[in-house]
Amino acid sequence: MVRFDTVTVSYGNTSIIQDITFGVEEFERVVLYGKSGSGKSTVLTTIVGAHIPESGTVYFGEEAVNKRNIGEVRRTVSCIGQEPVLGAEKTRDALLLPFSYRAHRGKAPPDEQINRILHDLQLDHEILEKDVSFLSSGEKQRIAIARALLLDKKIFLLDEVTSALDIESKRAVLQLFTSTPYTIISVSHDPDWFKICSRFIKIANGMIVEITATPDPAMYAVNGED
Amino acid sequence: MSDMEAINISYRAMIILYALITVPVLICFFLKLGNVKQILIAVLRMTVQLAAMGLYLDFLFRFNNIWVNFGWVILMIAIANITVNRNSGLRTARMFLTVMLGLTISAFFVIVIFIFIAIRPEPFYDARYLIPISGMVIGNCMRANTIALERFYASIKKNEREFLTYLLMGATLREAALPYIRESVKSALAPHLATLATLGLVSLPGMMTGQILGGSTPIVAIKYQIGIMIAIFTAITVTTVLNLLLSLKVAFNEYSILKRDIFRN
Repeated sequence: MVRFDTVTVSYGNTSIIQDITFGVEEFERVVLYGKSGSGKSTVLTTIVGAHIPESGTVYFGEEAVNKRNIGEVRRTVSCIGQEPVLGAEKTRDALLLPFSYRAHRGKAPPDEQINRILHDLQLDHEILEKDVSFLSSGEKQRIAIARALLLDKKIFLLDEVTSALDIESKRAVLQLFTSTPYTIISVSHDPDWFKICSRFIKIANGMIVEITATPDPAMYAVNGED
Repeated sequence: MSDMEAINISYRAMIILYALITVPVLICFFLKLGNVKQILIAVLRMTVQLAAMGLYLDFLFRFNNIWVNFGWVILMIAIANITVNRNSGLRTARMFLTVMLGLTISAFFVIVIFIFIAIRPEPFYDARYLIPISGMVIGNCMRANTIALERFYASIKKNEREFLTYLLMGATLREAALPYIRESVKSALAPHLATLATLGLVSLPGMMTGQILGGSTPIVAIKYQIGIMIAIFTAITVTTVLNLLLSLKVAFNEYSILKRDIFRN
């Protein structure tokens, strides 16, 4: 589904990630982990074209990501971070923002669909009328996820998505990502999140150190962010 | 020229006016503000620049040639262009062409309407009208573009993640840039809107004062002042929007991500 073939991304003369090679199958849930500043987040954002690789190729499906298909890649993939950007004052406007773009115009979801998704994420539908500045980090994150679901995204790039959540919200998020098959590439240090993932990629100094099928016990001790 | 020209100031009187500068110089000196040298250099610069301006305006008015006049307007736009890029922290080499296009289109748009259609001097390219009015329009466009471009690119650079989020929701480059364009244009227009709303309450606007001293009746002077204010406001609105839109083409890469090499540092 997504494949990195010896990808190097540099900023000025410094490489941020170097010779990264790995692939993620459809419906697989993968975790990238490592110390702060090791380049994990850069791997995620390179998939959606935030950086143009200096060398190597990122494949999306069978095709190399390029300027012609980057729009399609972005429409398929959702990228959600610890403090998601909602981009509007009211929650409802934030949820409906993408439907103001030409790519989704006229496809705004009916209220029932919005309410169902909010319910699945254990959010009250009154949240729609709230000012986004009053939402907690957990609520913001779930609104960002709800928006991605309304856009029918199948691939999720999640950067520390559960780290700011209380137990209840975390349970709702874990439940959501396990009940429906999604392809997930995540950055996390959360043991609860590890439980739903099947592959663990350790990154240090911008390079892949090892790829394992079970979490490395040392991971629980890692306490950093990227 | 009007029958009632302004009274000339004799050179002896100019010496008296220059002597007036000793008052602020002495005040600053005794308050130890440490800016006496700066004041003297500033006065010297003003004198040299205005003397040069007097000479070239005198030349332009006497010569009054269509090519020289329009060439001069283009030169003013080019200088404004370089100033806009330098003051907004952008590399002139990257942005020169788009800023030139944006400034030229908007400046000529209002020059054509204000001078060629409304005032109708004879000949239409008369330097007495074309040069000062273009200068006022271009000078204001320069300041507005500096604010708009600086705000726009600084805020996209600062909110990279937010910008990427818009792209990931399916926005085109222009759609993703729109919230930042709105904010930047608003900031660029704000000082002019404030000026428009208070004009005539506090002081007589410069152009009007000049015309009244030059012998125009207040009514004529007011009509010119209203005309120039509307022309300037129109030009800065058109030029900021146009320049931001045109600059998207050169400032973003093929993945719609901001290029870092457009910044000076």
